[in-house]
Amino acid sequence: MSWLRFFRRERWDQERQRELQAYLDIETDENIARGMSPEDARHAARRKLGNSTQIREEIYRMNSLGFLESLWQDSRCGARMLRKNAGFTAIAVLTLALGIGANTAIFSVIHAVLLRPLPYHDPDRIVIVVESNPGKGFPRFSVSPPNYVDWRKESSAFQSMASAVLGDFAYTGGPEPERLTGANVAASFFSVMGAEPALGRTFLPEDDVVGKASVVVLSHGLWTRRFGSDPQVLGKSLTLDGRPYRVIGVMQNGFQYPRGTALWVPSEFDKESLGPGARGAHYLRVLARLKPGVRIDQAQAEMSSLSTRLEQQYPKTNAGWTSRVISLNEITVGDIRPTLLVLFGAVGFLLLIACANVANLLLARAAGRQREIAVRFSLGASRMRIARQLLTESILLSTIATAAGLLFAEWAVRALRTLPPSNLPRAASIGLDLPVLGFAAAVAIFTGLLFGVAPALQVTRSAPSETLKEGGRTSSAGRQSVRSALVVLETMLALMLLIGSGLLLKSFVRLQTVDPGFQYTNVLTASVGLPASKYSTDVQKVQFVDQLLERLQSVQGVKEVAAASGNPMEGSNLGFAFATRDLQALSPADQPSAGYYVVSPNYFHALGIPLLAGRSFAQEDSLGTPRVAIISQTVAQRFFHDKSPVGQSIFIGVGAPTDKPLWREIVGVVGDVKDDGLGEAATMTIYEPYRQMGWRDLRIFLRSDSNPSQLAAALRSQVLAVDKDQPVADILSGEELMSQAVAQPQLRTLLLSLFAGLALILASLGIYGVMSNTVAQRTHEIGVRMALGAGQSSVLRLVLGNGMRLTLLGIALGSAGAFALTRIMKGFLFHVTPTDPATFVEVALFLFAVALLASYIPARRATRVDPVIALRYE
Amino acid sequence: MAKRGAPPLQADLLQGTLDLLILQTLVLGAAHGHTIAHVIEHRSDAVLQVEHGSLYPALHRLEDRAWIASFWGTSENNRKARYYRLTAAGRRQLAQQTSRWEQLVGAINRVLRPAKE
Repeated sequence: MSWLRFFRRERWDQERQRELQAYLDIETDENIARGMSPEDARHAARRKLGNSTQIREEIYRMNSLGFLESLWQDSRCGARMLRKNAGFTAIAVLTLALGIGANTAIFSVIHAVLLRPLPYHDPDRIVIVVESNPGKGFPRFSVSPPNYVDWRKESSAFQSMASAVLGDFAYTGGPEPERLTGANVAASFFSVMGAEPALGRTFLPEDDVVGKASVVVLSHGLWTRRFGSDPQVLGKSLTLDGRPYRVIGVMQNGFQYPRGTALWVPSEFDKESLGPGARGAHYLRVLARLKPGVRIDQAQAEMSSLSTRLEQQYPKTNAGWTSRVISLNEITVGDIRPTLLVLFGAVGFLLLIACANVANLLLARAAGRQREIAVRFSLGASRMRIARQLLTESILLSTIATAAGLLFAEWAVRALRTLPPSNLPRAASIGLDLPVLGFAAAVAIFTGLLFGVAPALQVTRSAPSETLKEGGRTSSAGRQSVRSALVVLETMLALMLLIGSGLLLKSFVRLQTVDPGFQYTNVLTASVGLPASKYSTDVQKVQFVDQLLERLQSVQGVKEVAAASGNPMEGSNLGFAFATRDLQALSPADQPSAGYYVVSPNYFHALGIPLLAGRSFAQEDSLGTPRVAIISQTVAQRFFHDKSPVGQSIFIGVGAPTDKPLWREIVGVVGDVKDDGLGEAATMTIYEPYRQMGWRDLRIFLRSDSNPSQLAAALRSQVLAVDKDQPVADILSGEELMSQAVAQPQLRTLLLSLFAGLALILASLGIYGVMSNTVAQRTHEIGVRMALGAGQSSVLRLVLGNGMRLTLLGIALGSAGAFALTRIMKGFLFHVTPTDPATFVEVALFLFAVALLASYIPARRATRVDPVIALRYE
Repeated sequence: MAKRGAPPLQADLLQGTLDLLILQTLVLGAAHGHTIAHVIEHRSDAVLQVEHGSLYPALHRLEDRAWIASFWGTSENNRKARYYRLTAAGRRQLAQQTSRWEQLVGAINRVLRPAKE
């Protein structure tokens, strides 16, 4: 009721005015009737009615919502003040916008990556079950098919369990052969994920039978891209790896698991992959959906006892292997969480610094408004009312800053969204959506209160009579101490950020100087996956590689060519148990394991991996000749000690187990490659020649004298020339390969350094501002001192000393804070301790120097004070 | 706040009392502000010298609470005037407030009388 009238107050007021006029008219009429003159009658009527304006005002107020009304008044007044002080407003808005923008951007990442539930039905119940063998250095490892089948049969904690294996498929329906990422999944996969098809159906158990006509479910993306969203696609045939698949369903838009999957086909375990020997072959990803009400730790307990039973039952393959149940969410974002939380803390600090700066500006400005406020006090404004007005001004300021900050954030979010998922999972879903905007609004109000409260308290606490009496210059010792405290706070926070980023920078520099063990400049790599249907025998695979390498060698600009089963630096994604003659008595479960590559003879030369002993592979090491192998330096040192490994034998547990183990002769030793990452220990690696061990999933390497990227087209056409149906994918330069390996450290170092840099700028501006203000206020005092004979240097010392005291206090507090906090960054640091004394000292000196400069400029100004002018001014 | 000629009663007591008087005046039928003011003044033998203007915020408040309703009409001497009439809710309110008022007066009297005797 009152609400409606609030918006119709003006009309109501007119109505009242007419009503009061009616009273006056009637009363006047009656007065005239009593014999008064018209003029007296009118006056008497007015007297009788009283102050009509006051009456109207009273009614007007009754129709308005007092709080909103004064809020509106205060906002308008505040807006006028901000417009009038455009310079102050611009600086304050910019400062706050940086802080708020950074916070909003990082929060949008945290919201999208950590807080928002995964886009699956009831995602909290989806778990990943991994096998784990900490003793061998595999805390989370893939599952072998027979173990999975047993888990599925015997566990009761899960509503359903499914396996998935990522695989590449050569798709030959389009204008050019294309490689698609697909997944071989169990029929229960879609029910575990809680995903429904948009069209058709998903797999039934009877689809998952070896030898039956194959079926495929398409992702929404592939359906749109390759089939033009044709609703009649069901029943059509798709040629993958040269084999026909019938389309039975299309998934809904947005469903894509595992990441990057374009299609799903049934898992089709054959007899061999479920046979007794396959228990040691770990390659499955196992997903499960918990029964309602079952907790992860309960599922873990059941799985642990199940694993123990399997370990006892199959000691040969399962000894040392347990299982772990991990939530899908943890798997997806667990690695990035610490980075994001550290960054969130950093932007929080940045915002506090920005607030301290703006509070300082407001305090400086409040000095100028002291008289205005004292006058308002004297005219009867309550303290509450004035404090509210000042806070409204602050919140108005922070609201404008938030609007500007959202622009910063939008820009930052756009940049972050382009990061590949390996750097930042779920990056594509980052955006300034409603919850993020809500967060920004909350930050706006919070910061407005935070930086507004000190000035508001300050102003309302001072006695108006004093201010008015004193005239111009106010003794503002109290305000000065608040401002000094703010400077100390800023310095402290900035130092903590600088130390954090200093530690990361130092780690990053040290990481960059690590020799990866191979030469990556001027190298181009591409991935070629030979379909099993077409390349079933080793001879076919070897022939393909032979032809391709020969053709590539003759391409203009190509210096070296090589092929291998994987990229260096992609992590040892293939590991096999191995044994030397000394270790052959050990059971397979106890044997050490090493990374495994199948390579062409020229691989070591082309990638600059040094040959330390013996020989490299030769073209003659082929299918008919005795098996040979090359080992990396670490294998040689650890298992052959002082003996020369060349000429010794080694067993590698690759391929189907046979009764008679196959021993290779070691023909050479090569340098180590940091396959697990630059920050990790060198990996043990064993190499075999591709002509003795046909491989389907290949990487091709080209080395040229200059930028090799223009060779990409030639590489593609040469592959097509060998096999017109063979797609090429993942073309990367050596630099790109390396940058993927340091992407995460690079991201957090870059961002934290950015925030620390901003913090440094803001903090030094804060110091500068406070010192300038001090000098301005002490002009009179300095003039007196100089008149009494103080030299320029002693004035300089006076002002600088003041600034340095604050800085040193801030540095001391900041060092203590950093000492306490940097340990949370331990996992990010490489060859640097979290309390690295050198970093602490260097950063503190650096900050001290910047602060010195920031106070030197106002101090210089103080020395130029002319005593005569300073005194006359008074 | 203090108004010329207004009895020095506490504001809220005065307000509540004024509401009661207005409602009582309207029992006889619709009336405009001028009439209401004069009726209150005359009936109280001019003891309640309310400033006529202060009536209008009270009328506004009562209308806001839907105890009275208003309409524009023509006065006895052909002037346009805003008339007020009692609503059903206003009638109930009047009965309630009158009895509360009587209770209050009785209570005060019981307290005051022994002192007088």
